[in-house]
Amino acid sequence: MNIKLYNQFLKFILFLFGIVILGPTFFGVLGLLFPAFGYFPSMGSNDFSIKYFYDLFLIPGILKSILLSFYTGFFSTILALLFSQIILLSIFNTKFYYYLKIIISPLLAMPHITMAVGLIFLLSPSGLIFRLLSPWLTGFNRPPDFFIIPDEYGLSLILGLILKETPFFLLASMAAIEQFPANKIFKIGKSLQHSNLSTWLLLIFPNLYKRIRLVIFIVIAFTSSVIDMAVLLAPSTPSTLSIRILQIYQSVDLDSIFIASSLALVQIFIITILISCWFIIEKIINQKFFFLFIIKILPREKSLLEKYLFISGVCLISLSIVGIVNAIFWGLGDEWYFPNIFPDTYTFDHLTNFLYENKFIMFISLFIALIVSLISIIIIIVWLEICDYLSFQNRYLESLIFIPLFIPQISFLIGVQTFLIKIDFTNYLIALIAIEILYVIPYCFILLGPALRGVNKDFISIGASLGKNRLERLFLIKIPLITSSLLTSFGIGIIISLSLYTPVYFIGAGRVTTLTVETLNLAISSSRQDLGVATAFQIIIPILILLIIVYTNKKLTKWSF
Amino acid sequence: MLNIVIKRYLFQMIFHFIIISLVFVFCSSTYALEKQSYVFQNEYWKKTIKKASGQTIYFHAWGGAKNINSYIKWASNEVMKKYNIEVIHVKIADTSNVVARILSEKTAEKNKNGAVDLVWINGENFSFMKKQDLLFKDNWIIKSPNTKNMDFKNNPGLLNDFGISTNGMEMPWGVSQLNFYYDSEYLKSPPRSALELRNYIINNKGRFTFPQPPDFVGTSFLKQILIELIKDKSVLQSPFIKKNHEYLLNPLWSWLDEVTPFLWQGGKNYPSNYSALTQLLADREIDIGMAFNIAHASNAISEGKLKKTVRSYIHENGTLANVHFLSIPYNSSKKDAAQVFINFLISPKAQLKKQNKDVWGDPSVLSVNKLKSEWKNKFINLPRGVATLNNEELQMKLEEPHPSWVKAIENQWIQKYGSSN
Repeated sequence: MNIKLYNQFLKFILFLFGIVILGPTFFGVLGLLFPAFGYFPSMGSNDFSIKYFYDLFLIPGILKSILLSFYTGFFSTILALLFSQIILLSIFNTKFYYYLKIIISPLLAMPHITMAVGLIFLLSPSGLIFRLLSPWLTGFNRPPDFFIIPDEYGLSLILGLILKETPFFLLASMAAIEQFPANKIFKIGKSLQHSNLSTWLLLIFPNLYKRIRLVIFIVIAFTSSVIDMAVLLAPSTPSTLSIRILQIYQSVDLDSIFIASSLALVQIFIITILISCWFIIEKIINQKFFFLFIIKILPREKSLLEKYLFISGVCLISLSIVGIVNAIFWGLGDEWYFPNIFPDTYTFDHLTNFLYENKFIMFISLFIALIVSLISIIIIIVWLEICDYLSFQNRYLESLIFIPLFIPQISFLIGVQTFLIKIDFTNYLIALIAIEILYVIPYCFILLGPALRGVNKDFISIGASLGKNRLERLFLIKIPLITSSLLTSFGIGIIISLSLYTPVYFIGAGRVTTLTVETLNLAISSSRQDLGVATAFQIIIPILILLIIVYTNKKLTKWSF
Repeated sequence: MLNIVIKRYLFQMIFHFIIISLVFVFCSSTYALEKQSYVFQNEYWKKTIKKASGQTIYFHAWGGAKNINSYIKWASNEVMKKYNIEVIHVKIADTSNVVARILSEKTAEKNKNGAVDLVWINGENFSFMKKQDLLFKDNWIIKSPNTKNMDFKNNPGLLNDFGISTNGMEMPWGVSQLNFYYDSEYLKSPPRSALELRNYIINNKGRFTFPQPPDFVGTSFLKQILIELIKDKSVLQSPFIKKNHEYLLNPLWSWLDEVTPFLWQGGKNYPSNYSALTQLLADREIDIGMAFNIAHASNAISEGKLKKTVRSYIHENGTLANVHFLSIPYNSSKKDAAQVFINFLISPKAQLKKQNKDVWGDPSVLSVNKLKSEWKNKFINLPRGVATLNNEELQMKLEEPHPSWVKAIENQWIQKYGSSN
């Protein structure tokens, strides 16, 4: 009887956790849907109507914005996927493969905005590339009037997104490769006289694709609704849909919240269409004739195409690295005029000034990140433990935690914000932490979930037979066994939280600011020097966190078996 | 006969006595009244300071310029030390966002504990807030002791914001005038009128731009051009009525039609605010920059952002001039602390520091003649900066149009040039 009650209690806790995680998602969607259909009682609007969906097409240039969001999302995802596969197939089974993780970790760890800043420092008419070529080659003794970054068609936004998502796909693919005997398959392909390219496309990619499909959809949802990168890299006359939503949401008109909410629904619709398109393409590629067609046209020998693609992939990655190093130079340089390649003088003034003025912001960013990551991990562990105890195996329920990643951030956050104003919740810090947890949990779960579930059951039964209770088994057996995954997912949680822009911008409402938001502020105004310093910190902090984790991991697991 | 003379004399004496005594009584009573009101004000202020201690206020102010942010940081530290008030600067990109927030709070009937305690504001944002009853009224600005150093009588601009009476809802904080700057090493004589500027832009493709409206400076630039092109300037002082006034904007649109293809990046992309222009000029991507702060160029030079050869200028027929203000939203629950902070910001100490070109360079709103001699000397001895125009050069000032013109200009600009990539 008692045990039954206890079980009921645990089920209740599980239910509670479900609410904690899914509640904000639910209210976010609700807070979006009601105003989108014209329902907002406290603003004197009690009727549902679809008039705002007609109104929104009267906004000047809105169709262009929609189109821009649509194709930037599509092309950046597909090209990032392409480049990640090209890089992988070219270095698979070589010694470089093992270094790849080290190269891409810092690229993965830094926020999107840092990548955008790096690109601007590099490619703008007064950027490093034109400085390197001027005036000896180009004849420019002042920056040319080129419309490159941002450009008219959103190409630089696509480039920025490719640079940021390629490492993400690389990581996901490398994790997927370990789940099937890729090495053997690769060797079989090679022994059949296939080139790397054809082996990869015909034998490995189909296996790999199944496993990274979810990641692809997450990337589609993200890239077609990105905000921070679009502020810097998208054209401004007009900008992408996500930026337009932001602008309209913040404008003074009384109708703005209704129009912004309907536009946010349009944003969701865009993502739905994109993913449907992807499904259709999948269907086509899955046809037998298409497969045969590919086999026919694919060159067996190592082709020039493969070489060019690989070189451009490597160029892309080095582009991001050079851009970021250049940003750090800006942080230390003084009086750096075109076309000088290096600053005339160096100084630490910008650095010390920045530290003095932003030490609180840096502290609060780290504080939020630590709390968010910690809570996320605790929630995941408790969730998994209770599930394990109740032998509760519903994986569909778990996939619900990925919902926040599929809803465009702006749409979701407008809903949450409306809801918060409605219930008059004024603790911005707590609200922000709660919302950030939603974005951090899925990533932590991907790492931690399989690790915790994968602990060898024999150890647990031995522990149980030695009279250890569940709690002792968790802390004395399971956790020590998964220390490495635990630490990694803790670190990833911190890094994700640090890089979030839109949630902080919306939910923090200016009261709680983090380094990422501050960097964007600097990027659209102030001096390059300060921006350089801010960017430097945005790179150094995640890398430091990664290093600390690697080091602790080594220390902690030295004695384990 | 003599009697009559004496009588007359006596009569006159009495009359004079009455007049003099009346005057004396009047004077003394007003003196007493003044003294009484001074005592009253003093009491009121003491109470305000007491209540303000320990409060935290959120100061929503445009945060796109580092020097201004640093200045606000300095002022916050000062009031922390002096009055135990914590000021948190909420850096915003556009003041209209703050107005939108307060408006949404009002519609949600959140009439207490509003998110905003203090806002840096002027122009159409003020007129909107005044119209929607979003401001703390109570004629509070007169109660701040430091207003005694302002000369409202001779500076009616301090009580009028874009022609709208402030009714004591806004405290003047600084004075600005639209000005342009250029590098004198490369550009010998900058264009000094809308027409000269048009020719300059067309002859120097890609070397001029302005911040993208609805940015404050960008829209102000459009207003400047409109004022220079319009024939009857007085009509700009009345509210914009679409059916009567829309055609008056046509000279501005035809000017822009001619110029836009020759702007920086073909007029397809614009910098987001005036600080971004500074960087573009430093890189020599553009030839001419603009700002509302008359010491902006000098300030940028002393910060090492611009070369020492940069100079400022204004148009022959003058440029837009206005005052920027501080005001308190109606639903702030920390109005005391906000008032104490504002009073500090208009103190001679804070205004002197603000006017210093190495700090911010924003001219003070105080009247130097009303100050005590020690402060007076300090103000007079402030260096002006190599790139700052002197008062004679800045004499030609243009009046701001009625705030309702702003929205009309912005909306049409966005329709014509901001969304037709």
